[in-house]
Amino acid sequence: MTLRSAKAARLRNNIIVHTVLAILAFIWVFPVLWVIMTSFRAEKGSYVSTFFPQSFTLDNYIKLFTDTTILNFPKMFMNTLIIAIFSCLLSAFYVLSAAYCLSRMKFRMRKPYMNMAMVLGLFPGFMSMVAVYFILKAVGLSEGSLIRVALILCYSGGAALGFQISKGFFDTIPYSIDEAALIDGCTRWQIFTRITLPLSKPIVIYTVLTAFIGPWVDFIFAKVICRANADQYTVAIGLWRMLEKEYIDNWYTSFAAGAVLISIPIAILFLKLQKYYVDGMTGAVKG
Amino acid sequence: MQKKGRTRWLAALLALLMTLALAGCSGSSGTESVRLMVWSPSEDQSKDSGEWLQTCCERFAELHPEWDITFVYGVADEATAAGTVSQDAEASADVFMFANDTITTLTDAGALVKFGGIYADEIRATNSEALVDSLTLDGELYGVPFTTNTWYMYYDKSVFSEEDVKSLDAMLEKGVVSFPFTNSWYLPAFYLGNGCTLFGDGTQEELGVDFGGENAVEVTNYLVDLYSNPNFVVDADGSGIAGLRDGSINAMFTGSWDSASIQEILGDNMGVAALPTYTLNGEEKQMYAYAGSKAIGVNTESEYMEQAVALAVYLGSAEAQALHYELRNVVPCNTELLEDESIMSDPVVMAQNDTFDRTSILQPFVSQMSNCWTPVENMGKSIRNGDTTHDNAEAQTQAMNDAMNSDGIS
Repeated sequence: MTLRSAKAARLRNNIIVHTVLAILAFIWVFPVLWVIMTSFRAEKGSYVSTFFPQSFTLDNYIKLFTDTTILNFPKMFMNTLIIAIFSCLLSAFYVLSAAYCLSRMKFRMRKPYMNMAMVLGLFPGFMSMVAVYFILKAVGLSEGSLIRVALILCYSGGAALGFQISKGFFDTIPYSIDEAALIDGCTRWQIFTRITLPLSKPIVIYTVLTAFIGPWVDFIFAKVICRANADQYTVAIGLWRMLEKEYIDNWYTSFAAGAVLISIPIAILFLKLQKYYVDGMTGAVKG
Repeated sequence: MQKKGRTRWLAALLALLMTLALAGCSGSSGTESVRLMVWSPSEDQSKDSGEWLQTCCERFAELHPEWDITFVYGVADEATAAGTVSQDAEASADVFMFANDTITTLTDAGALVKFGGIYADEIRATNSEALVDSLTLDGELYGVPFTTNTWYMYYDKSVFSEEDVKSLDAMLEKGVVSFPFTNSWYLPAFYLGNGCTLFGDGTQEELGVDFGGENAVEVTNYLVDLYSNPNFVVDADGSGIAGLRDGSINAMFTGSWDSASIQEILGDNMGVAALPTYTLNGEEKQMYAYAGSKAIGVNTESEYMEQAVALAVYLGSAEAQALHYELRNVVPCNTELLEDESIMSDPVVMAQNDTFDRTSILQPFVSQMSNCWTPVENMGKSIRNGDTTHDNAEAQTQAMNDAMNSDGIS
């Protein structure tokens, strides 16, 4: 009797919990679904009176890649991809190196550096935007294809300040492993690349992911640094321009298509690396 | 000893290098080499619409064989160029295009060259006075106008006759009219029609805004009625053009940027007209749009000032405007071209010029003007939400007027 009522209670709770979860999931997925549907919508214009498109088409995607004289989406996509890949590699390297040093080596500036990084991290990055722009201009990186280099530097330059999570992870790897390696004649660099990194796959992947997404979705630095150099625009600027009053009527559905396209690389990365991502965030070596 | 020898050798090398460099600069034919950076909207440079900018710049170079000009093109549309230029004038284009309502952004940054002498005379001679005024600040002329910038009415000819479109109330009886009711670039048209003023003649900042008083309250009451008219639809977030597309709307108010889309929707039935009148307490009142201009400006930081100014004047000349119209349907403003029959037969050109001349006021660009946008927008929204009714129209109108005259954020 009691067993049965306990079962019934659990079933009831499960039903309630899952209904709530289903509603929340629907609310969460709803805007995404809407963007995807809009990207296949055949009716033009930014305003629709029906939720579901009247008819579907692939033209919005085709337009993005063929109608390139005014808004060159393929070029913007490539620009963003190049910038994101390079800044991802650079900043992942910076972050992991800094985290390793702070976790494994004892030096006089260790504590002050960590404090400084903490304090600097409290300020939003774009506070320094104007200064960054003028420095880049003084160095001569604000014109032509050097803008790409400038953006890569922008996105990766401050990366070493964001070492905290990786350092926390490295701290959980026993120091005795390092000592054993040192006795066997390993250099610090060898310990880092041969022992620490292979043991920290989850955090390496987490770092790479966040380092890729930052430049991939950034708007504000790209806008300030690209200025009138349309051939250097990143996807974020391009999508924003599609919504200006001259373009919105013709480009709105293609804007949605562009939004879907840029989410694909991130979505693939996440799906492939999700397992490690979760491990990285829970942060400990097991077994 | 050895050291000295090396120094001498270095000096000789440097001298040789400098001679070569100088020779490279001056060239053998005696032409001056010039590098001009030009910014325009991307349509002006796109292959699909005929590369207006490149064509004009090359033509300009042919006209001036004494200069060996290298052009560098960049993309900045008229609305945002002012922001980009004033952010860092030194690294901006020598010649760029801007909308006249951004003129104070540019002059505050000291980035806009004043036109004088023969150039100013030429600009004044080939443009209407109102147009020149739109680019004049404290008696100085700051740009070469190339088109007017305002909004007017597009309608379906199969629904309205040419007689109907002279009066908004006549139109509302025959078909559905859409108006950007919650957009403060459009809504003041009704207030301006009933004697409300902005900064005296538009330049007298000390006089403030007069959007209060009995005449303004009458307009608010009219707007409350207008909103409740079943044949009236608020145009927001692109609903106007969508309604035109599905046939639920027969007339809308917008500018030349939508004309290609509307032409595609209505085809031969597309009608364009200046603003209609509206009937207030039995009297016909004319609606007045904000009008401005788009112009070509020259950067004060330009290294080649003479060439930059000459290029700006050329890009605003009748010849360049005619090509601009041909390639991109940019409505010309040069008085010579406005006498050209083939151009004047275009209904969009006619409506835009008619609006500019007859049913618009110059949009003030005094700095206080920035306080005028939000209160009017809020008025439109509060009528739409039902917060403003006949009962409180007077208080709401007064509140709008107070907010427009105040610097505070309230």
